[in-house]
Amino acid sequence: LAGPPSPPGLAPPGWRVPVDCVRANELCAGEPSCSSRYRTLRQCLAGRDRNTMLANKECQAALEVLQESALYDCRCKRGMKKELQCLQIYWSIHMGLTEGEEFYEASPYEPVTSRLSDIFRLASIFSGMDPATTSRSNHCLDAAKACNLNDNCKRLRSAYISTCSRELSATEPCSRRKCHKALRQFFDRVPGEFTFRLLFCSCKDQACAERRRQTIVPSCSYEDKEKPNCLDLRGACRADHLCRSRLADFHTNCQATFQSLTACPGDNFQACLGSYAGLIGFDVTPNYVDASTTSITISPWCSCKGSGNMEEECEKFLRDFTENPCLRNAIQAFGNGTDVHLAP
Amino acid sequence: AALGLYFPRKEYLENVYIDEPGGMPLLRIHALKDSHEEVAHFHLCQNLVISRARSHENNWFQIREKTGLLYLSKSLDREDFNMLSVGNWMPLSKVMLYVFLSSHPFQEKECDSATRITVFLSLINATAPACDSLTARQLCFTEMDLSFHIKENKPPGIFHQLQLPSVHHLCQNLSISYKLLAAEGVPFRYNENTSSVRVTQRLDREERERYELIAKCTVREGFREMQVEVPFLVNVLDEDDSPPFLPNGTDTADAVVEFNRKEGNVLATLTVYDADTTPIYPLESSRKKYTGTIITDDPWISETFRVEHIFDEIHFSPNGSQVRGTRHEYKLVLNKSISVTEHRSFQLDVLVNDTEFHGPERSVMLHFNVSILPVSIQFSNITYQFTVNRNAERFAQIGKICIENCMKFRGVNITYKLLSPNGSCYPVSILQGREDKYGSLYVNDSSVLHRPECKEIQYTVQATDRQSRKHTKTLLTVVLEGTLLKKEEDCPDSCAISKHRAECEECGGLGVLTGRCQWRQGSGKGITTNYSTCTPSIKTCPDGICDVVEGKDPAVCPQDCTSGNIIGGHGKGIGNLGIKSGHGICYCFPRQNCYCEKDDIKEPLCDDVCKTVI
Repeated sequence: LAGPPSPPGLAPPGWRVPVDCVRANELCAGEPSCSSRYRTLRQCLAGRDRNTMLANKECQAALEVLQESALYDCRCKRGMKKELQCLQIYWSIHMGLTEGEEFYEASPYEPVTSRLSDIFRLASIFSGMDPATTSRSNHCLDAAKACNLNDNCKRLRSAYISTCSRELSATEPCSRRKCHKALRQFFDRVPGEFTFRLLFCSCKDQACAERRRQTIVPSCSYEDKEKPNCLDLRGACRADHLCRSRLADFHTNCQATFQSLTACPGDNFQACLGSYAGLIGFDVTPNYVDASTTSITISPWCSCKGSGNMEEECEKFLRDFTENPCLRNAIQAFGNGTDVHLAP
Repeated sequence: AALGLYFPRKEYLENVYIDEPGGMPLLRIHALKDSHEEVAHFHLCQNLVISRARSHENNWFQIREKTGLLYLSKSLDREDFNMLSVGNWMPLSKVMLYVFLSSHPFQEKECDSATRITVFLSLINATAPACDSLTARQLCFTEMDLSFHIKENKPPGIFHQLQLPSVHHLCQNLSISYKLLAAEGVPFRYNENTSSVRVTQRLDREERERYELIAKCTVREGFREMQVEVPFLVNVLDEDDSPPFLPNGTDTADAVVEFNRKEGNVLATLTVYDADTTPIYPLESSRKKYTGTIITDDPWISETFRVEHIFDEIHFSPNGSQVRGTRHEYKLVLNKSISVTEHRSFQLDVLVNDTEFHGPERSVMLHFNVSILPVSIQFSNITYQFTVNRNAERFAQIGKICIENCMKFRGVNITYKLLSPNGSCYPVSILQGREDKYGSLYVNDSSVLHRPECKEIQYTVQATDRQSRKHTKTLLTVVLEGTLLKKEEDCPDSCAISKHRAECEECGGLGVLTGRCQWRQGSGKGITTNYSTCTPSIKTCPDGICDVVEGKDPAVCPQDCTSGNIIGGHGKGIGNLGIKSGHGICYCFPRQNCYCEKDDIKEPLCDDVCKTVI
């Protein structure tokens, strides 16, 4: 899933292209001074608060040395080999330093530089249909057909569908853990031209919208007996390196901003949709809340009931899904087959 | 003592441009107090956090200890900017500063006060824009929402300044004025001279927890006038200042233990209300704050019962406006299964304690009137009589044996046993039904049914409670009837193999009651639970449950019990066993595959994906 190399000229000055953390870790291990400082820093960070850590001379020295190493700016790629290991290295440094109290965390993933138009181009090859003549058709059904015509997409899709709809007992409708795993495999290993079409197809009638809502088999992967508090859910997600990274990636790429016309950071719809899809199969799995065709409302399975004094923060977290103009514009733009026109 | 001072918001945000002069004010930070005597001191930790955890010594920003004014102490030139942008991935560089708060003057290098907030400074790679190029929105407000939180029961004070210090400093030729639009009687005031917003009285969250005002800004430049309005929100933070109370005064509930004696059975529930909010995370700490304890000296009671506490958010409407409160539910639960012989009544008291409320009425006592009734293990006054057709096959289900109220029992395990009769006719056996509630009587040896000397067989059935060893007996008569039919040749031993009605009804198979399989004609519409199939007995197969007798041999009812492949449109049953729903006719080869297909139409089979797609 390696994206094309970042186009020259876009990088601001002083921007150095980061290496991935697995590689950075190898580089550091090859240098005795770096590896010993890294070990020291990890011990410093374990279970201590940033300021206590900085008060310690040895820790501070380790930090200063490491700031010059490749480990400090390293990133990971979605779906890379050893992704989990890469993220573990990333958070081993960043978790203690940012203290986990930030509302939005920076994404450990490399930025997405490709554009939606790349997907449209590929999608039209696969569908073999002229978008103008399909205005009355069910786009979500077309997306399912397109997936079934591709061996890889079909195999991984049927794998998650059969896993997620296997009833275990009267009280347990399915194995959520296995279903999430199968969904993650589908969204990590199947290219966006298939997965995005399934997730973000545009709909004019309810049957289509219901199919879109059913894409991730929500009865197993999404709904639960009770709705937990959103901050509780976020806490559970942050306890897991992979989930934490995907959530940070979502916040980085889909956080609404006034500084662009589309409300998306850098007007990059592709990055927002990609990080949305990256949340599926985790505690914070988002989905359409109903089969409405007129308004699109997305939410994870949680509410702000029982937030106590944290209600403001909880609402803010939830609004990034339910009332996010960037996410909404990105989904609509994908459905309409439009993308932001980039100045050359 | 805990610090009473606090910040009315969590984050501040401001832009910093290249080459802005030293002394340039950036933003005002406010603190609210716990008591009038307290004096707020602000302090910066001498480290900047450049996004992504890189840190740098802070050479540019300072804060006035008394007033909370953050200012640029030294101009930030291009070189500084480039240094602070290293490692920043996004085009926009952000640095973070922590502002600390203390009630006494700061000692040097003191960076560990728990009360702190984050200031985000966006470093903009350009010189400050000219005042006349800025929009009214940019002149009046930052990008950050005007949203604040104020603790209830605290003294009044100033918590915000509407005027932007940097704009005021740079654009002195513009007249910028503000107004706070609010409903009558709202406890907030805007002071035009200082541009500050003040809360004028102690707030009570239980009365109102959210104030929505509008900040209006007017910019005048010569004859031009521009206006902007933005929402101005104040949330009131809760503290534990309300005691628990009982809805309708109910503090007593009856708890009766009779047929359900199983561990985990909820006997009764009593509810306690509290006007305070209770966060549901972290769950355990909230549970610890609101305790429910069984008051007893009797070790048997404390072993046998436990109290479970759940709570959720409800709304009260004190004077029209809705505020959140908490409903606590205390459930009396059996901590272990109780023997059928146990018989006693007593009152069980539970003390509910709101541990963080500082007042005399912090606890309430709940009372449960517990009655544990014994249940008798006995058959009702009948003797069982079953007739069995001589053509019945092995695993034919004849009937159920059940002591009085057996289906109501939970947590009581009854073992049913047949005591052997005299003579040599033993065609039937018994198996334990689900959850040990009943016994299933079935044909175990069909050859006995064929012997003319066996006509009427008397058994004694014994039912024993496993825990107390109490037992009871009754008589059971099995009458054999009917004449032996000639067996069809070439019939399979399982009904489920037959695919057509004719071959089904001609043959017998394991589990049949009268020598012939039965055909179930389905509705024939799509994939349905009412599919067509051949079964030993429509009453028991397929019914979606693989019962104990069917489970003895896979040939009896694979429609309920198969764990193998099912080919064709279908839905699997609970626990992946059996065919819950099928398309057309479903038939099975025991220990092998099952097939569901429409008999007449030859169309490609439908697999998992196709089922979900179409």
